[in-house]
Amino acid sequence: MPLKNDAAIRKDRLRFTKNKLSANLILLSIAMNALYFVSIYSSDVGSYYYKLFIGASIVYDLVFMLAAFLSSEGIKNYKLGYACTSIVLGVLQVARIFYLPLKAHKAANPVADAKSAVVMSGGQFRYVAVCLIASAVLLCCAGVIGIMKTTTLNSYLAELENQGKEGTDDE
Amino acid sequence: MSDLKLQHLEKIYDNKVQAVYDFDLDVKDGELIVLVGPSGCGKSTTLRMVAGLEDISKGKLIIDGKDVTQMPPKDRDIAMVFQNYALYGHMTIYENMAFSLMLRKENKNEIHQKVLAAAEILDLTAQLNKKPAQLSGGQRQRVAMGRAIVRKPKVFLFDEPLSNLDAKLRAATRREILLLHKRLNATMLYVTHDQTEALTLADRIVCMSMGHVQQIGTPLELYDTPANLFVASFIGLPPMNLFDVVIEKGFAVCEDFAVELTEQEQQVLAPYEGKTVTMGVRPENVVEGGYITVDVFSNENLGQNTLVNGSVGSHKITCKFRDWSTYKAGDQVQVSFNKKHFFDKATTNAIR
Repeated sequence: MPLKNDAAIRKDRLRFTKNKLSANLILLSIAMNALYFVSIYSSDVGSYYYKLFIGASIVYDLVFMLAAFLSSEGIKNYKLGYACTSIVLGVLQVARIFYLPLKAHKAANPVADAKSAVVMSGGQFRYVAVCLIASAVLLCCAGVIGIMKTTTLNSYLAELENQGKEGTDDE
Repeated sequence: MSDLKLQHLEKIYDNKVQAVYDFDLDVKDGELIVLVGPSGCGKSTTLRMVAGLEDISKGKLIIDGKDVTQMPPKDRDIAMVFQNYALYGHMTIYENMAFSLMLRKENKNEIHQKVLAAAEILDLTAQLNKKPAQLSGGQRQRVAMGRAIVRKPKVFLFDEPLSNLDAKLRAATRREILLLHKRLNATMLYVTHDQTEALTLADRIVCMSMGHVQQIGTPLELYDTPANLFVASFIGLPPMNLFDVVIEKGFAVCEDFAVELTEQEQQVLAPYEGKTVTMGVRPENVVEGGYITVDVFSNENLGQNTLVNGSVGSHKITCKFRDWSTYKAGDQVQVSFNKKHFFDKATTNAIR
């Protein structure tokens, strides 16, 4: 069946091409998270928070990166579940700003000689917040694009299947 | 598609070894030319010179009226299919076929249509999402051809594309190449050492040996009227039986038998009266019944015919009889020759 218009060809292309755009956006979001990860512990948060809390945040970062990577692979193959997962991860990235970075930014430094200072300076707070927001935006965009492409592909495949069935019925 | 002119091509390597001597050929638009010859005869080197993978030492290469002798391979607008497929293992079949077009930054929708069209021609549509490792050898070779087709090149080059396939698949893929050629009407240059491929595929065959072109002609011309002893012995399976004979008073005589010459043969061989020439008889031209006695060594039944290997005195001979024969080693069979070829002993050229 020759395809005539661009929209139909674009749809048909989904059958043979992978969703590399979403996958690459997620990989970029992992890179942004890595920037956050290497920056957050350069502040004095280690001495302010309990060790268990810091440990948990490190574990979360590692789990996040793993989950995001799995999502990128899943979304590449048009798996709807992974597209939703990436959106959830994006939302969690935004939530994280209010957890460790914001608390550290507001908390006074416990070191005796630096009572007027905060644990995390304004500059660093802005930097890590931007990293997390960028990571969140990339994840959400990847998820939305993934959902759009996956639903388009699924409906197109269903359409083809119906056409095939009709063709068989005609015979 | 377009025509191709190879004008007196020569290949001399840096170590002064000459691989190809004075190769001159005009390939017409839509023609399928097969370069055939034993290993090391220069056929692949010639193909690689056309592809631009080897420098041309002397001569000119003209594609579609344009001299491309010094042009880099990418600008020659040719596509080559290799023996080992050369597919990208990590890419799907679709991506493999689309890759060259993507590198050219062509429109993605156009690439899609070209790939689908090629896949349909090659019956690969159902395999487009698979990786090369999931396909059979024949399918992989079809992908390699598909990758060439999508580019719509001026000339297709095939370098022993069927050598990696088993006998059954080779025959099937050979038929597909033939159909593909008819469908695309493309100019193709095909290299093989397999004479069956050459005879079945070619519009014209170029038979090569030791870097020299021995004969250019249609498959029938090469089979029926070989230009010299090399072509006669190379083309045809099993190879031609060769005997040294003396031309004497209307007979071709050797120590073990004498064969009467036809009037036409007597005329042609008149200058060789009393001299020794080489007589060639194809196994299929040896027929049962006659005055020559063959001592049978072995009997190979092939279904539609039988190969009988034996000797006539000190000369070994292979006969290809129609139908199913049941000779045993030690049997004797009377034969005659219904067609003979004669070659000059000194020059090895055919006597006509």
